[in-house]
Amino acid sequence: MARISRRSIAARMAAPTALVGAVAIFGLVAFSSGPAQADTTTTTTASTATTPAPVAVDPTTVATPPGDVTATTDTTSTTGPTPTPYGVGATAGSPGAQPGSVQAEPSAVTALPSAEATAKAAAPSNQGGIYYPALPAAYIAPGQALFAANCSSCHGAEANGKDGVAPNLQRLGAGTVDFWVSTGRMPLANTSAQAIRKPPRFNRTQTLQIAAWVQSLTPGEGTQIPLVKTSGADLEQGNTLFTLNCAACHTISGAGDALMEGAYAPSLHLATTTQIVEAIRSGPGNMPHFGVGNIPNSEARDITAYVTEVLQHPNNSGGVGLGGIGPVGEGFVGLLIGVGLLMLVCFWIGDRS
Amino acid sequence: MDDPHLQPLAKNPKRMEAIAALSMVVGMAGFVAFIFAYWVNASTQWEALTLGIGMAGLGAGTIAWGKYLMPPGPFVEERHDFHSTDDERTAMNAAITGRGGIEVKRRKMLLGIFAVGGGIMTLALLIPGVRSLGPKPAKSEDTQGSTEDSLFTTNWKKGSKLVTVGGRPVKVDDLDVGGVLTVFPQGFEGSSPDQVILLRLADLGPNDPPYPLSSPGRTEWGVQGYVAYSKLCTHLGCPVGLYQQKTQQLVCPCHQSIFDVNAGCIPQFGPAPRPLPQLPITVDPTGQMRANGSFDQAVGPGFWERP
Amino acid sequence: MIDKTLNWFDDRLGTAKGGRSFLDKIFPDHWSFMLGEIALYSFIILLGTGVFLTLYYVPSAHEIVYHGSYVPLRGQNVSEAYGSTVGLSFDVRSGLLMRQAHHWAADIFLGAIAVHMARVFFTGAFRKPREFNWIVGVIMLILGILNGFLGYSLPDDLVSGTGIRIAFSIVESIPVVGSYLAFFLFGGNFPGSGVIIPRFYVIHVLIIPAILVGLLAAHLGLLIKQKHTQFPGKGRTEKNVVGSPMFPNFIAKTTGFLFMSFAVIFLLGGFAQINAIWQFGQYQPFQISYAVQPDWYMGWLDGAARIMPAWEWVGWGHTIPLEIFLPAVIFPGLIFNILIVWPFIESIWTKDHEYHNLLDRPRDRPKRTAAGAAMLTLLFGVFFASSTDVMANFFQLPLMDVLWFFRFFVPLAPIVAYFLTFKICNEMRVAEGIGKRKRALIVERSTEGEYTTTEAPVRPGDGHEEIDAIPVPTFIDTTDPSLATAAGVRRVIR
Repeated sequence: MARISRRSIAARMAAPTALVGAVAIFGLVAFSSGPAQADTTTTTTASTATTPAPVAVDPTTVATPPGDVTATTDTTSTTGPTPTPYGVGATAGSPGAQPGSVQAEPSAVTALPSAEATAKAAAPSNQGGIYYPALPAAYIAPGQALFAANCSSCHGAEANGKDGVAPNLQRLGAGTVDFWVSTGRMPLANTSAQAIRKPPRFNRTQTLQIAAWVQSLTPGEGTQIPLVKTSGADLEQGNTLFTLNCAACHTISGAGDALMEGAYAPSLHLATTTQIVEAIRSGPGNMPHFGVGNIPNSEARDITAYVTEVLQHPNNSGGVGLGGIGPVGEGFVGLLIGVGLLMLVCFWIGDRS
Repeated sequence: MDDPHLQPLAKNPKRMEAIAALSMVVGMAGFVAFIFAYWVNASTQWEALTLGIGMAGLGAGTIAWGKYLMPPGPFVEERHDFHSTDDERTAMNAAITGRGGIEVKRRKMLLGIFAVGGGIMTLALLIPGVRSLGPKPAKSEDTQGSTEDSLFTTNWKKGSKLVTVGGRPVKVDDLDVGGVLTVFPQGFEGSSPDQVILLRLADLGPNDPPYPLSSPGRTEWGVQGYVAYSKLCTHLGCPVGLYQQKTQQLVCPCHQSIFDVNAGCIPQFGPAPRPLPQLPITVDPTGQMRANGSFDQAVGPGFWERP
Repeated sequence: MIDKTLNWFDDRLGTAKGGRSFLDKIFPDHWSFMLGEIALYSFIILLGTGVFLTLYYVPSAHEIVYHGSYVPLRGQNVSEAYGSTVGLSFDVRSGLLMRQAHHWAADIFLGAIAVHMARVFFTGAFRKPREFNWIVGVIMLILGILNGFLGYSLPDDLVSGTGIRIAFSIVESIPVVGSYLAFFLFGGNFPGSGVIIPRFYVIHVLIIPAILVGLLAAHLGLLIKQKHTQFPGKGRTEKNVVGSPMFPNFIAKTTGFLFMSFAVIFLLGGFAQINAIWQFGQYQPFQISYAVQPDWYMGWLDGAARIMPAWEWVGWGHTIPLEIFLPAVIFPGLIFNILIVWPFIESIWTKDHEYHNLLDRPRDRPKRTAAGAAMLTLLFGVFFASSTDVMANFFQLPLMDVLWFFRFFVPLAPIVAYFLTFKICNEMRVAEGIGKRKRALIVERSTEGEYTTTEAPVRPGDGHEEIDAIPVPTFIDTTDPSLATAAGVRRVIR
């Protein structure tokens, strides 16, 4: 054994100190994210409990740049835990938003009935916990103006598309339009790759106005905008259906993964109930179309409830969720942190010469 | 005690002793905290934290004691030869070749019988040990019969109703174009070899010409824009559940084999060697979808008996 | 009192003679000699937590209705295996901690074996007379991987069930006997007659652990009998071992290390969630999740299967699924066989049949080091190929490009690694002072304007002020001179 000279105790304790520090940091990270919701960045509960005040939409202020939208933020008022129409104020505005940053989300549509109200009225559009309230006719005119200014350069003034540039939007329905616009995928940032989720360009009212106008071109056709009442949903059924129909692409944890031909299945951790049902029904991009004959409304609601209540708030009782990507993340942690830390201990205990 | 071999490495042994003791006391506190955490039914994180502090504290103190306070040496130990002396080797070898050799030469027949007997005993014991484990795979290439003891059969036969895993019969207007559904023959919901993926590629009515997107000669195997393929990947048997509707590909999530839906599900890329077997389907007058026969080959991955 | 007890044992077992030399046994102190201990201590955790888990786990495919505390599963039909694993995670106190510590210990056990093995390989510690111990180690590695896979399969969740399905297909791919073996193992065509979980269970908790314990005893027994290798240095020869004695130094350090290993594994077990089976759900043969991978130590086989081209051989009424058989059976068989026979290959190749108790520096054996680097590159290549989809998603690359990259990387990179390592080793051997800390140069300017350069003094800790090693003394704290006459006993003068 090499008889290394007696260095100061501080120097000798450097390795164990670093070790304890690493463990402490790891522990802090684990605790700060909490066992119930460790790796998702969304916090939807607060905002869903608010009923945003209506915002007067001036048809002349057509395109609202993202920066300007923040001006409407302060109009949001908390008037009690009433479910919000179309999940407005939920996560629609939060993709990519950092905790603490100003939510560019907005506004809304108290003119539309809430899911609760619709349920009480037993509207004929109630289908297995999913409601399809009609969009106000007053939205059509401002929607046309918004469309003309922001969408028509690619999709054409009549929304009938351009060959090789953009698809025909007629007959697709308000729900399809709402999905693409409310997830920020439209307007498109980069025409060559798959559209990515980003903070939406338009506030909720503007989005519904555009959707209302597109819908007015082909009344009754295509995917409608759903309101989902998840409170009575069957999570066990949703779990089974999600595994059978969705997990093959979106993964069992909803984290998403890369597909062929440069496509990818997006993460579901930011999706709202409305967007989920719109995606199931309209099949955006490479996603299959699931009609009511395939997944009835009650089942679509169960899946939606499972995604928003379980996958977006996973039970991570075991600690940090490690991204929900399974053994790949676990292998890295096991080898780098587990074996790595213990090798540092070896380095402390043993000689280095 | 001024021998440098025996002096502790620590410059200030008293202080190091205190540090080690403190570390161990922290460890003890950690274990006590663990018992408390268990008592109050605290979360897994609290249990791990207290236990971790306990073990790390006790461990670090013990290591510090061993490394800094005990006589550090260096000490030396001589190695000894592993091998025996030549005489011992000779005696040992002689015992085997000499003593044994004489006996073997004298009783060659007995030795032979013993060897054969031992071999037969091994075989006799191995037969129940292996053969009792499970059924022999059926040789038959008949695609009908029990699926439990044959790799060639499925429960699909002409007229089998297509049902979902929940047993709901599948009607011809159930799927949108671009829709996908996992179906089974009625009565065998959830069965592994019977799983079939039903796709609707076009919105065709009963009187429209058959949809051409199948292998040549198999356009009649689909019906009204529907096609049905075995959901078992021909590579390693994972369910081919990933349908890219726009690029018309079925993908196996396990090893990324890609099957071209527009060309009879022939593999486009990846390790899968064969197309997914196609199930001929039809529609009865009530709109119920039915199998129009069984698969024309074994489903799933390859194996020796597969022709 | 202690004397009396020890004498009582010596009267009956003769422990004093052997025990004394055991306590005086010398262990070299280099840090890399402790890597194997990580594996040893993870194994102890595996045994302890494993026993805890067996008290609650039910190895049965029998279907029950889940009524535990995890809400999204309530009312679902699950197998007893799955239901009891979710149950021991949520409804048994400390159960989740034990289960996760068990899983992390398995990951770390095999990781530590890999690192330990690399140390043994690159320093040439496997050479005569330690070939047996190398082989025992490789067999333990194989059994460890196998047992890890079996344990991963037991919860019967969606991800592990997919793994069992793949295992069935791999067995099925073996020419001539494959379908028979698969049917025997599973009790019929997949998913079999419900026997696979109990069978895996008995192999996982009884057969392989028993063999591992036996091999571990052999591994340590051989280490004690043959004594540890050491790096060359002052006073260290082929004929001696220099280091700390078993008692008390080594015992103290290694016991402390045992606790540290426990600490790391239990901290991971409580803070890093592993294999959250309640999120995966019960395995159903027609369900699948994307981003399914095996645990890391099986990843190299999964990756090999992913990048393999679709080469199925068909002829004379038979099929050989080479696209499975080559990467999943032949490839690991080849790797493990090369590992087992490596000590013999090397001694034949180098015509070296001498005893070796002093270790090599890796750079001094450039060919062996290069071969090891090539092997590691190959294995890391296929290992990373098993996460192509996750990588493509993470780095936002087209998945096909990633797959194609690995199809070229895996066969070509080891060749590059070999020659690169060979060259680096050779250059390091000729360069002086590599691996030693640089000493600063002090440039002085004299009053006449003349510059002189001198080396800075040796930093404390850098100089090898080694002293000669001495045999372990035994001290008797007594004033009675007659007691100091026993063999090798020195009296302490106080």
